[in-house]
Amino acid sequence: MTELMGGTRFYRRWLLAMLCVVTGWTIQASAQQQQQPTTADNWTKEHRSADADRLFTLKVLPLLTEKCFGCHGSDPDDIKGEYLMLDRASLLRGGESDEVAVHPGKAAKGTLLEAIRWDGLEMPPKENDRLSDQQIQWVELWIAAGAPWPDKATQEAIRKQDQKSQETADGILIKTSGGTSDQWSSRRYQADKVWAFQPVRPASELLPKGVDAAQAIDHFIDRRLQEANLTPAPPAKPAALLRRACLDLTGLPPTDEQRKQFITAWEQDSQQAWENLIDQLLASPRYGERWGRHWLDVTRYADTGGMSNDYERSNLWRYRDYVIRSFNEDRPYNEFIVQQLAGDELADESVAKRLQKELGNKATAQKIQQRVRQAQQTGQYTAQEAEWIVASGFLRLGPWDNAMVKADEARQMYLDDLVNITGQTFLSTTMRCCKCHDHKFDPIPTRDYYRMYSAFSTTQMAERTVPFTDKENLTGIESGRAHVQRMLDYATSKKNALINKQETAAKQWYKEHDLPYVGLNQRKSMPDESKPPRHVGLDYVDQGRLKVREQDVWIWNRRLERYQPMAQSVFSDAWVKIPGNAARKLRIVRNGDGKVRQNHILMGGALTALGDVVTPGVLSAIGLPVQSALTAPANDNFQISDNAQGRRLELARWIANPENALTTRSIVNRIWQYHFGRGLAANSNNFGVSGSAPTHPELLDFLADDFIAGDWKIKRLHRRMMLSEAYQRSAEASDPDQVANVDPDNLLLSHFQRRRLSAEEIRDSALMASGELVHQLGGLPVSPEINMEVALQPRMIQFSLAPAYQPSRTPAERNRRSIYAYQVRGQADPFMELFNLPNPNESSEQRESAAVTPQVFSLMNSDMMTDRSIALALRAGQHSDQVGQQITQAFQWVLGRTPSSTEHATLEQYVQRMTRYHQSMPEDSVNRREYPKQITRSLVEEFSGKPFQYTEILPVFNDYVADQSASDVGPQVRALADACLLLLNTNEFMYVD
Amino acid sequence: MTTNFNRRQTLFGMGASLGSVALAGMLSADAAATDQQAPSLAVKPPMHPAKAKNVIMLFMEGGPGQMDTFDPKPALTKLHKTESKLTEGLASGFKFFVGSPFKFRKVGQSGIEMCDQWQHLADPYVADELCNFRGCQAESLNHPEALFHMNTGSRLGGDPAFGAWATYGLGTENQNLPGYVVMTELALPQGGATNWSNGFLPPHFQGTRLRPNGSPILDLAPQGYKSRQHQRDALDTLAKLNSQHLQSLSVADQQLEARISNYELAYRMQADVPGVVDLSQETAATQEMYGMDQDETKVFGRQCLMARRLVESGVRFVQIFSGGWDSHDYLQRGHSSRIKSVDKPMAALIRDLKQRGMLEDTLVIWTGEFGRTPDNNKRGGVYSLGRGHNNNAMTMLLAGGGVKAGSIVGATDELGNHAVEKAHPIRDLHVTLLHLLGLDDNKLTYFHGGRFKQLSQFGGEVIPDLIA
Repeated sequence: MTELMGGTRFYRRWLLAMLCVVTGWTIQASAQQQQQPTTADNWTKEHRSADADRLFTLKVLPLLTEKCFGCHGSDPDDIKGEYLMLDRASLLRGGESDEVAVHPGKAAKGTLLEAIRWDGLEMPPKENDRLSDQQIQWVELWIAAGAPWPDKATQEAIRKQDQKSQETADGILIKTSGGTSDQWSSRRYQADKVWAFQPVRPASELLPKGVDAAQAIDHFIDRRLQEANLTPAPPAKPAALLRRACLDLTGLPPTDEQRKQFITAWEQDSQQAWENLIDQLLASPRYGERWGRHWLDVTRYADTGGMSNDYERSNLWRYRDYVIRSFNEDRPYNEFIVQQLAGDELADESVAKRLQKELGNKATAQKIQQRVRQAQQTGQYTAQEAEWIVASGFLRLGPWDNAMVKADEARQMYLDDLVNITGQTFLSTTMRCCKCHDHKFDPIPTRDYYRMYSAFSTTQMAERTVPFTDKENLTGIESGRAHVQRMLDYATSKKNALINKQETAAKQWYKEHDLPYVGLNQRKSMPDESKPPRHVGLDYVDQGRLKVREQDVWIWNRRLERYQPMAQSVFSDAWVKIPGNAARKLRIVRNGDGKVRQNHILMGGALTALGDVVTPGVLSAIGLPVQSALTAPANDNFQISDNAQGRRLELARWIANPENALTTRSIVNRIWQYHFGRGLAANSNNFGVSGSAPTHPELLDFLADDFIAGDWKIKRLHRRMMLSEAYQRSAEASDPDQVANVDPDNLLLSHFQRRRLSAEEIRDSALMASGELVHQLGGLPVSPEINMEVALQPRMIQFSLAPAYQPSRTPAERNRRSIYAYQVRGQADPFMELFNLPNPNESSEQRESAAVTPQVFSLMNSDMMTDRSIALALRAGQHSDQVGQQITQAFQWVLGRTPSSTEHATLEQYVQRMTRYHQSMPEDSVNRREYPKQITRSLVEEFSGKPFQYTEILPVFNDYVADQSASDVGPQVRALADACLLLLNTNEFMYVD
Repeated sequence: MTTNFNRRQTLFGMGASLGSVALAGMLSADAAATDQQAPSLAVKPPMHPAKAKNVIMLFMEGGPGQMDTFDPKPALTKLHKTESKLTEGLASGFKFFVGSPFKFRKVGQSGIEMCDQWQHLADPYVADELCNFRGCQAESLNHPEALFHMNTGSRLGGDPAFGAWATYGLGTENQNLPGYVVMTELALPQGGATNWSNGFLPPHFQGTRLRPNGSPILDLAPQGYKSRQHQRDALDTLAKLNSQHLQSLSVADQQLEARISNYELAYRMQADVPGVVDLSQETAATQEMYGMDQDETKVFGRQCLMARRLVESGVRFVQIFSGGWDSHDYLQRGHSSRIKSVDKPMAALIRDLKQRGMLEDTLVIWTGEFGRTPDNNKRGGVYSLGRGHNNNAMTMLLAGGGVKAGSIVGATDELGNHAVEKAHPIRDLHVTLLHLLGLDDNKLTYFHGGRFKQLSQFGGEVIPDLIA
């Protein structure tokens, strides 16, 4: 190429021009140079080399570091292709092929460029790591310029010079606490990619004169629609609006009563009717049950801990109710944040204050600490303090079990989880990437990861004594406890019988060996020769059963805690040692020395690879300092005090600072997403460079700013959004062809995005249509009837099988809203799972709604849906004895409208055919569903490899009150139920317009 | 008009073959789409010429002992019941070496080694198809994490399973059946469905578990009192209601249309799945070959035969879990009974595939989640003849699908404690298996959680020695 262009002089000129064009730099080696005419001839050798040095230092070297050194340098014991790139000589020389990689000054030769162009060799080998054309051009230019490799000091000087300009054509600098390399710390970002780390612009800057806050949403939305030449869809019809609002805000379709009221009001004053409707729905307790569920998706709520044993976290239902209550009471979001991240420390502070009030000057630090710790053990808390501690259950939501895991690894697993979930939940930031290295794309150094890690490093898990409050629903505690106690008693008696058998044999052994009998526990540590063999007197069946029963005793003991005034929570201590099976029982134990441990950056995320020491701290990239009376760190105001107590509270208050742009944008974006089907920034857990940029950045900022102006109140935000025209549009685009061409994903919101009902909405709506739904706010987890095959199927846990799933005994207990259903990590309700209830092991930023075929099986064939159809038919039967009217009524309950005459005729004829069908079937054609009172389990005994059996009792079925099912009704009801089932399968039912 | 995203997302439910002519055009357009938002189950060409088209993975849950199956260790036998100072594993206290209770011999032309408990697999017609890989190394010592690692490439669980990735990369041949089928014993393996999860891939790539008892797919069959004709009438009437609703809209919505077609697909699956899983269609001789007539082999035999039928019917990936290999004690009894329960069915599967000309493009894998230690600790004062978990060495068999038949690849040290030759982490095995399927792990990626993810997590190497 250079040869073709004819001679070095021409080439130099070309090179210079390209340097400017490609990198977009202003040459700024010195003012004098800039004044000279930019022909290559005027360039001295130093000039060129200065420029190429800059190219290398600022472009090529960072590129090599990011893309090449991982395999060709960083690990001297593992150099891929024997090609080392860490210094100039090696880089030029090439690797195992013996072909020269780079000929300085001759870009056309050498294998390096071939490789990075994927011309023959393909490097880097991953498609996703491939260099861009621009990056390849940098390397090409650098080689053409002689492939200079300036020394460290020169590099440093160049970087320093570059750092003097905050913004260049290459992007902006972002100051952080510092990466593990200067290169990383001094890199530049494209401003629009790191939008999330910039301050929120105030509404006053964003809104033109004459547009007030109430019109702001439509102002921003309509402006983009106009630019795209899209006509907004007309307003939706009142019936559609009603259903949309009811489902969005409460997760339930409107009742007949609500419908009548709304339509009447609408005819008088549509605007007022709409506003009143929103207010009514926001005031309904059903609102918290709907929006609490969104929050639980993000925070990963489950009633069990997952992993090998899936032990219950027996009191987490109190956290679930705290979340529901927070939405219903419109708890300001900043308080919501602090309570979840540091509610236990808030309670400690409050206890201390109470004592100070009580004792005045006599309240010494020692006395305060004593009282705080005493309260932690006894649970002497006010209702407010109790609620705060329950809120800190947020810190206990991740899957965790330390069985068979080394102590430090189990601890790391927990702390990593806290850092990640805190980043995703409150800051819409994926922290996981910087566990091992400075973030590849975002301005988050690994130092900040470990600072946050350190902020959590004194957080210790525990189940704590926390009194129930008046706000909590304690219905069913007695009957629930009795049931669990019965299961426990059974397991205990079986276990004891086996132990007795063993000890009888042991006594015999001692007698035969002429030794005094030593009890089971005492002899555990004795030498083998002086005691009977383990499991003496037990054959493999006994041994297998003993293991099962021992595990069952743990399991049911744990479940008894559900009914105790306890909370899954944490406490702060420098360091504690926990038992190896902490997932089944973990109380506050202060067995450490109280000395605060130092935290390090863990290089590559490895516990053994200690990097720099870090103090607790926050994310530095957004430039928001820690504001705390407790600390005044020198020259780095992103650090938190390193006391064992109070770190989390400081972190939480930093997150909940109104100036924290990540926090405020995060929550308004989530709320927007749940109303409009897509966040303004589509990845609501990831605002980083690799997430989707906002479609309407100014609107996002306006909402964030306005949210703070509204005192962090979420209900006010709902009103803002729902009162916009954008929200009230019809689901049918005005100009579908234009939409298909310009905005096929409806990012610009020319029409309302039709959505499928969520798993909970489907089940709850079906129960509501059939008249079976029982409303009760909060309380112990309930167990709906799930597919019986799944309920009874054996499920392996570490040494045993988990107990079978037993549904709650009566319909009133079972047929509650889905948010109250018992969530077992290892055993999802197959119906809910099929309709995309998220896996609680990962934070779910948005539900999937794919329509997969097995959903058809569930909707058409399952007991769950069939039972609903029977109940619906029975309900219609109570309403009228005319089939025609029954159909009209069922239609109304399911779809919220009167059927058209065609629809009615279709269904009436269908019912007639089905009546004949069922009448033609023999009387006993419908089998009664079996609910076994006990089952026999098979398991392989671990040591012998032989199968053994044992009996598991299912006492709930002793006096079970089943739902009405097909076997309880005659052919006519079954026929009507067939029609009801079809209604529950319609698209109209399954989607919200 | 609704969005592309939703349309495709909906369309490719468990299958994309649509009954309605009106939707046929849409299908062909979508079948070609390969962008991330529209990953479908439609057949996709491999990235490079593939050696294997289908996979049958036989998963021996619990971790078979390499030195008790395919990797003889005479030196270990000599040390039997002498003290061990090895430090790996979780066991503590007095540790002693355990020699294998089984004798070994070389079988077939190729001289593959196996213990004398393998009777049927030793038949040269079958044995010479096998490749014994001794170089694989797991990471975790705990069952669920190790299972997750082997199945999903990640110890944490929650990532897509190998079968999900393969189906994502290649689609599946029969749109009336799931592309990835899993069979287990009555009890699920530790970690449960996480082992065949779609992870962050769209849900139709999830392994569909054919249940060992009762309905093969949950709620596949209508309620007992509803006949096939009843179902037909229901679907026709529902279609009427749905089309009346569609007509009431002024703008067509393809996600609603696609959902209607799902009901037809479901109807066909209801007809097809019971046929595929109905083993009575096989001759008595075939059933006998798979050991379905004997108590100890009938469960696994039934599953192996089912696997062949599924692959024959166009299922891309079949996985069978068989537990009970976690022999901490009574090694002889435990392993002997496990080997007997899988030996005949496995041999029959390979023989059957070979006879039908299916073996060359069906990759058969036999593996556990890790291997076992050469030693054990005393329990309750007695020598307990068993083995602990070992993440440094294990053994596996590969057959068909372009693997080097009749070969032993890699080696463990003389006690079988560490892989010492051709030692490779699980990710390299995954990369190699994908390679055989014509897929490049580095290109088979999915954007999730801020980065492109892949089965190997961060890349791995093809193990050339395993490939013919």
